Amino acid sequence: MVFESLSIPVIGTVTLFDLLVFAIAVFVVYIISRIVAIYLKKAFSDRVDPVELDKLVKVIQAAIIIVGVYAALPRFDINIADMVVVGGTIGLVAAFAGQRIVSNFGSGLFIIAERPMKPGDNVTIGEVSGTVDQIRVLSTIIKTYEGVYVRVPNEKVFTSEITNYVANVARRFEYSIGISYRSDAETAIRIIRSLLEDHPFVLAHPAPSVFVDSLAESAVIIRVFIWAPSRVWWSVRTEMLWTIKKALEEAGIEIPYPQRVVTIAPGARIEVSHAHGGGDIR
Amino acid sequence: MSGTGSRSGICSRRPDLFSVFGRYGIPFRLGESGITVETRAEGQFTLYERVAPSGRVERRLGFSGGTITINPVEPVNLPQEVTNTIEFHFTPIAIEPLSEVTVFLTFPVEIGVFSGSEGSYTLIDVFSLAKPKYSLYGTPEKGVITRHVETGVSHEPPPVDPLQEGILALAIRNTGKDWVWVSRAVFESPSLRIFYGPHAAMSAEMMVYSRILGETWVTRTPPREGMEEAIRIFPTKKSLVPEKPSYLMEYGVGD
Repeated sequence: MVFESLSIPVIGTVTLFDLLVFAIAVFVVYIISRIVAIYLKKAFSDRVDPVELDKLVKVIQAAIIIVGVYAALPRFDINIADMVVVGGTIGLVAAFAGQRIVSNFGSGLFIIAERPMKPGDNVTIGEVSGTVDQIRVLSTIIKTYEGVYVRVPNEKVFTSEITNYVANVARRFEYSIGISYRSDAETAIRIIRSLLEDHPFVLAHPAPSVFVDSLAESAVIIRVFIWAPSRVWWSVRTEMLWTIKKALEEAGIEIPYPQRVVTIAPGARIEVSHAHGGGDIR
Repeated sequence: MSGTGSRSGICSRRPDLFSVFGRYGIPFRLGESGITVETRAEGQFTLYERVAPSGRVERRLGFSGGTITINPVEPVNLPQEVTNTIEFHFTPIAIEPLSEVTVFLTFPVEIGVFSGSEGSYTLIDVFSLAKPKYSLYGTPEKGVITRHVETGVSHEPPPVDPLQEGILALAIRNTGKDWVWVSRAVFESPSLRIFYGPHAAMSAEMMVYSRILGETWVTRTPPREGMEEAIRIFPTKKSLVPEKPSYLMEYGVGD
């Protein structure tokens, strides 16, 4: 009875048995793809960059599943040419029905082809800043610096301004350091240059630049331009600023608070009144 | 210098090799120029301890016998790995068209400590007495970060402190029709072959096609007879990225 029911056609000439075999075939192919993925990860995890390995594994998994499904299709006695026509029609209908999805898909393809960023890069996309976790076909996953998961639809990624902070191998950053007018700017510049020479990741070329930039209200402003490898620029930036501050202070160079020099004209009278009856100064 | 050091334990070091470099049976202890390396067995484990001016490192190894190899390694690891390219920057040399000249440069020594045996090594530690500095070869968009080596140029091997510097013999050939000023040579670390004896050494060649374009490669033969080839760090990473035999310098061979 059960076997008889399996041979009853359910869709055209396709029987329940055909469907069952197809389902088992797809399941087996899926299991095989998982086993292959685990084997690949075990074999290559210490030899290939994790991001590249992830891509490689996904491509191989997809290939195994496509081949498996294709191999199981003859059970349905389906003409591939007919399937292409039907698939195309369904695709067209789906495209109209889900324009957003198609738009995201198209944008995803362009992003993958253009490669304005790759997983691991520090980026700002529109108002979202963080590290690129994954670039998928429909969306891009950003892990913000606070560790928050953000999914940005690819359509938005494609039409937004993307700032990639590590696309170039080196990047420049700068400091503005104010020293008091009493301090010697040449000594300060010499000290800063010496510290920059000592730091391994302050690049020798392009050489750092240290100069007096302006004579401000409260301080002589020294500007420092530093090039560093993009991979470590942030740690160099944070480390060097404090190192410079300490070295300048040790050399007796004052980093002043905002201040104003008031010159009292000879013979002028200043009257200071204290609110709680502390007396007057004349 | 070797006279100032101290050592104990089983050592297969040849007497003509510099005192720190060589293969040591566990346990051993050696001290040289402010560097102390010691291994001692603790039950099933081996305790590795290194003290150098850059700091102290302690590692627990999951074996209690075998050998430890200490030799110079590709100098691109400290203070952390940011590149696999090394750039020599030296006093400009004018090279006549269709001529060749051999110069001797120095390079910083990083000392690698490995455990394992033929064909299967793992890196335990890497340290150096040389001060690291990095640079950019090319443009920020398309160039590469390089370990920057500022070196003098000699017509014969210069005297060096073996713990800090090695010697690179570089044969520069100008294949172009114009005079070229050469002041840079860039190599990728996977292609480096360092040999050691009284000091670390490498031999390399540089083909200059124009003032913009050059090609460099390191030869795989020891610069002097009797030198031993150092274990490299690159193969221990078991990378699938193939080793390129030469490096194409596309951003100029001069300043």
